[in-house]
Amino acid sequence: MPAVSSAAGLLALLDEPSDDLKQHALSHLNKVVHDYWFQISGSIGSVEALYEDDDFAHRELAALVASKVFYHLGELDDALTYALGAGSLFDVEDQSEYVTTLVARCLDQYFEKRVRQSEGRGEESETVIDSRLTAIVERMLDKCLSAGQYDQAIGVALEGRRLDKLEEVILRAPAGEERTRVLKYALRVCQQLIVSREFRQQVLRLVIRLYESVPSPDWLDICQCLMFLDDAPEVARILNKLLQGGEEEELLAYQIGFDLVENELQSFLGEVAARLEQQQQIAAPEAVDAAPEAAAMDTDAPAGAAAAAGGGGGPLAARVAKLRDILSGKTPIALYLDFLYRHNHADLQVLKNIKGAVDARVSVCHSATIAANALMHAGSTVDTFLRTNLEWLARATNWAKFSATASLGVIHRGHLAQGRALMAPYLPRGDAAAAAAAAAGGGGGGTSYSEGGALYALGLIYANHGQDIRQFLLESLRGTSNEVTQHGACLGLGLAALGTDDEEALEDIKNVLYSDSAVAGEAAGISLGLLCCGSGGERVAAEALAYAHDTQHEKIIRGVALGLALMQYGREEAAEALIEQMTRDADPIIRYGGMYVIGMAYRGTDNNGAVQKLLSFAVSDVSDDVRRAAVLCLGFVLMNVPHQCPRIVALLAESFNPHVRYGAAMAVGLACGGTGLKEALALLEPMMSDPTDYVRQGALIAIALVLIQQPESRVAPFRKRLDKFITEKHEEVMCKMGAIIAAGILDGGGRNTTIGLRSRSGYFRRTSVVGLAVFTQYWYWYPLLYFLSLAFQPSVLIALNSDLKMPKAAFTCNCKPSIFAYPPPLTAELKETKSKVPTAVLSTTAKAAERQRKKAAEKEKAAAGADKMETDEAGAAGGAKKPEAEPSSYTLENPARVPPGQARFVVLPTSGRWLPVKRESPVGILVMRDTQPGEPQELVTAQGDGAAAAAATAPAAAATAPAAAAPAAGDMDDEPPPPAPFTYQP
Amino acid sequence: MDIDKPEDVPKANGAAESAALAPATSVEDKLKSVVALVEKSVKAKDTRLLIGRLLRQTASVRKQLTASNVKCFLQQMLPAELESRTFLCSHVEQAAASGMDADEATTSAQCEVSAVIPEVEFYAYLIVLIFLCDTNQYQLARSVADHAVTRLAQFNRRTLDVIAARIYFYYGLSYEQSADLSSIRSKLLALHRTAVLRHDAIGQETLMNLLLRNYLHYNLYDQAEKFRSKAQKADQFRSGQQYCRYLYYLGRIRTIQLEYTEAKDCLQQALRRAPSIAHGFRITVSKWLILVRLLLGEIPDRQEFAQPGMSAALQPYFELTQSVKAGDTLAFKQVTERFSSVFLADRTHNLITRLHQNVIRIGLRRMNLAYSRISLAEIAAKLHLVSAEDAEYIVAKAIRDGGIDAVIDHEGGFMASRERVDVYSTAEPQAAFHARIAFCLDLHNEAIKAMRFEPDAHRRKAESSEARQERLAAEQELAKALEEDDGEDF
Repeated sequence: MPAVSSAAGLLALLDEPSDDLKQHALSHLNKVVHDYWFQISGSIGSVEALYEDDDFAHRELAALVASKVFYHLGELDDALTYALGAGSLFDVEDQSEYVTTLVARCLDQYFEKRVRQSEGRGEESETVIDSRLTAIVERMLDKCLSAGQYDQAIGVALEGRRLDKLEEVILRAPAGEERTRVLKYALRVCQQLIVSREFRQQVLRLVIRLYESVPSPDWLDICQCLMFLDDAPEVARILNKLLQGGEEEELLAYQIGFDLVENELQSFLGEVAARLEQQQQIAAPEAVDAAPEAAAMDTDAPAGAAAAAGGGGGPLAARVAKLRDILSGKTPIALYLDFLYRHNHADLQVLKNIKGAVDARVSVCHSATIAANALMHAGSTVDTFLRTNLEWLARATNWAKFSATASLGVIHRGHLAQGRALMAPYLPRGDAAAAAAAAAGGGGGGTSYSEGGALYALGLIYANHGQDIRQFLLESLRGTSNEVTQHGACLGLGLAALGTDDEEALEDIKNVLYSDSAVAGEAAGISLGLLCCGSGGERVAAEALAYAHDTQHEKIIRGVALGLALMQYGREEAAEALIEQMTRDADPIIRYGGMYVIGMAYRGTDNNGAVQKLLSFAVSDVSDDVRRAAVLCLGFVLMNVPHQCPRIVALLAESFNPHVRYGAAMAVGLACGGTGLKEALALLEPMMSDPTDYVRQGALIAIALVLIQQPESRVAPFRKRLDKFITEKHEEVMCKMGAIIAAGILDGGGRNTTIGLRSRSGYFRRTSVVGLAVFTQYWYWYPLLYFLSLAFQPSVLIALNSDLKMPKAAFTCNCKPSIFAYPPPLTAELKETKSKVPTAVLSTTAKAAERQRKKAAEKEKAAAGADKMETDEAGAAGGAKKPEAEPSSYTLENPARVPPGQARFVVLPTSGRWLPVKRESPVGILVMRDTQPGEPQELVTAQGDGAAAAAATAPAAAATAPAAAAPAAGDMDDEPPPPAPFTYQP
Repeated sequence: MDIDKPEDVPKANGAAESAALAPATSVEDKLKSVVALVEKSVKAKDTRLLIGRLLRQTASVRKQLTASNVKCFLQQMLPAELESRTFLCSHVEQAAASGMDADEATTSAQCEVSAVIPEVEFYAYLIVLIFLCDTNQYQLARSVADHAVTRLAQFNRRTLDVIAARIYFYYGLSYEQSADLSSIRSKLLALHRTAVLRHDAIGQETLMNLLLRNYLHYNLYDQAEKFRSKAQKADQFRSGQQYCRYLYYLGRIRTIQLEYTEAKDCLQQALRRAPSIAHGFRITVSKWLILVRLLLGEIPDRQEFAQPGMSAALQPYFELTQSVKAGDTLAFKQVTERFSSVFLADRTHNLITRLHQNVIRIGLRRMNLAYSRISLAEIAAKLHLVSAEDAEYIVAKAIRDGGIDAVIDHEGGFMASRERVDVYSTAEPQAAFHARIAFCLDLHNEAIKAMRFEPDAHRRKAESSEARQERLAAEQELAKALEEDDGEDF
């Protein structure tokens, strides 16, 4: 119980002239302040005056009292200022609520000021940090360190943007396991939680530098980080070092290669490969001086590496050659292609049903069906459906024909070796291809639409691995003045040379752009973006934007705007200037592009500023297109936190504006692609019955994106809904199209691919994100639908030996086989049960009632028929359901399909013949170490990867006589028959 | 000054709850179902809806609590090794020993669970506290409350807030009943601070009211007002009951500060918001309201004193009002003397002293209306004043304040009233009407603000897809039919 019942007396003492009395009053007030702060707050002025009085001996005490009063009043900032003024009287070690609250506040303030300081915002006066503040923060940091809480210390150092402290923290962690752990933690945190890109890179550099000093660093992680920093020489150096090491290290180098390829940064990989060779050449003479082969290499410098690779110039050269094949994408793509062909489970019956249900005269649905087929068979090289329906296919004319031709590119995606030969019949008759086309083209040469489509298809086939085709595409582009062909060539070139900043190509595409033809210009705009993807395109960006302002064609403006967005991919703050400029533009199409710039620049960062900007445009812009784009781009920004996306767009999904609703649906589809998130589905499902047709379309596509490769039990109801949409007579064309595309996505890549936004190491795949971004443009231009195939990633587990061949190996999967099994193929009669007439409830008019009576008999008949069928079906189902206990685990054979949900059930072997080099996740391509090297290895196929091997030998023959290629390659059973060219010209 | 507002529950609601619980007849079963509710609400991280229900259900079993069934509940619900269990059981046993209900053989049902969530543990504390306070064992309640508050400090869980707030309430009550309120003031301030820092809205409100009550108990109006104005408050109270109490305390503070208009607003709101079952509270508020209105010069309606169940308690105030209305100082004096003990107990006697001036003023006013001129000596006699001079001063003051319309003739020693031109021209009805309208609008706005919707309530109404398909099909059919009709017409 306090000694006094009021502080009034003590307060009166403060106004006394004697310092002793004042000091007495203050020391007592300090004791009772927690009980009488509200009284003291009335005379806080005199306490403050005492603190400011330089002659007063107990200023610090006054500051402490003032600080406590402000703390009680909830003015924490003032309280902190005075607490700092109280100097030693403010005891940081104290555990009271007052002290802990103020210390927390102190940290907050420090972080805030440091961020402002390092980003150079705000006035000079503001950015000066009180040294006392710094002292407290450093004291807290030391406390963490002495308590061994390194994770917290790293957090404080990172939040406070103190690289020096970060280094200190890491170095103070006990060397050995603990330090490795701390480094790993720092690496993860700085990639996931640091908002500023610039600071993140600084931290990365520091962490990598420290990491490399650890005795056994995780080279996989380091190389990934270096890739982020675009440090090709260093990666090459590391790889080189590893290649020179023992077998273990060699395998690790391959594994790093595969992991790097997954991120699909074409130019970076190219540079690494080039450097690798250079270093090889420098190292070669010293390493194998005595060997006679080395001398040969030395003299013949440029061809040396190639010679070594081909002629087996020492084991090291062979290793380099292998690694180069990996980095160029040749090996992994061939493996994937082989897998997709081998395991293709696309259900032709589904397509047949769609084709039967859709009126071929409605070109939208017809094209959509072709697209669905392409998506279902993406990368599997199986074009049976098109082959069997040539006549039906021929209904595609003009741009539909363009699309249909391009769909071949999707189907043969990754068929690097034979791609050009496959498309030859449709390609423009240039000098080289003329003979081939003449040989194949029985029914008349390609029109410009099929020519353009074929060039686009080539782009899709060679997407992001276009060294071989680049020249051809360039020539085709130069050789034509037809805008349709130009359109295709631009897209194709952009895709093939994705993100390479290819000077020559840029010039040619710019020429097309400036020809001011709407159709070609649009593609040229996008293509510019693809070429300069992620580099910011300093040279072209300003020029292109200026041109967008000049031109009259909306298509060109949109193309350029999107292109600008692609250029800013992942550039975060660096894109801020352009964002500012574009989002303030008077032209809605430029603003539309501005939204995409935000989405692309901040892809997968869940940056608050970006989300805020998009949300504000989503509700306040005058143009529907801009609003739609703003909501949709939220999906890109939130890609790294899929579970948050549905919550953030939930309100927008109920907007009165259908464009915003559509955007919300797509945003969820993009952000949650392949995750099967419950929240996402809960948001999307009601949207399937939206009153507006295109919202339903968006919802269907989004659900398909979310549900791709989910366990069939979850997908089955959606399949049924899709069926209903497709077969329903009165359904609007837009929805039907959405449903058809959705069916295609759902079975994407022969049911073997998922939407792979991230590589397995957790970083975003540029190709996927860019693919999705351009895919969303299908709203304006259907052919762009096919960009979706770029986001398809085979969900596969492939084990390789040191020769990069697939050995026979098995993995255990600890779940019931049925959960992740392929869905059962559709039976033909299932379709008919759908024809049951829905009970129609009619209005109460007498007329209607009469009509109903008339109909009654008829309906009864139909119903009876349906009933019978249903019982039949039920019986069949009952028969199939044998109550046989399912095993709770089973083995997967190499190569195995592992959908995203299944990965956590798959166990990597810890004993046995084949052991993986990296253990993190059981998906993707894994290089395995052979524990019994002497024994013969049993490979999955005699030829290793059949498709690739066949493809490697075929091109020469195929180029001259493509028609002959089919039978030639067709005799081997386990190889994909390189499809015979066929034409569908009317 | 016991205005222990019984557990703030509208009776109808409680009845509904107990009806719902009909099958679970025994108290233990009911308590068990409440505990299940606690667990559910903690799981759902819901601090509003479910916990509200939980407190209502507790209120419904409150009357039936006995030492034996409380003990039984403790034994069943709390694991044996939990320290608080032994502590609580021993207290309940002590209560049973000193109390009248003989402890019949305790059931030996034992708790099966090995650990409980803290919410359940504190709920047990709450039950024991309620039981002890209801059986007037305030000393025991004090020690239990002390224990509970100390233990509460070890947790920082938002799901505990509501239960903790109730415990604080009984903490205050037990100390008040043992006349030792000032000793916990410091503790309450600390708790209030913590509640503010943790954004514990309900605890913040409860503790602020407890503190205000604490200050007012010792007539520390100045400190109470300073604390009230300086403490951080949310814009809106989360609990209606706490808001109601807050308004009452604020009304009292304002009354003492002579801000009658504001005081009247507060007290009126408090009275309107108080649930009808909170009888004691309503009576106390009514008393204060009557006095404030009298001080404002208003005369409350007769029916306000005749509210069911209140007339006896309000009798002294009724007579007081009558004397004020009559402007009869003698009657006023008599009433004050006769009921002085009541007024002292109500702690309103200082206000009644203030009222004396009003009585004189009203008496003067009546004279002003009745006489066109009256000598000051006469006035002094009628108002029982000491001298005519005194009367002159009082009249002069009244004229200056605009209370009466008259002139003093100093030489003649009389007061001459001015003729009123139109007795009926007045803005009174307009003002009254305005006040009503303002009040209604206010009520409406607050009702809207207080409305809460379930997060997805509107979704349920959305058409199911089947329904939409059906509707579309029906529309199509209808459209076709209409087309055919058109065809036939031509």
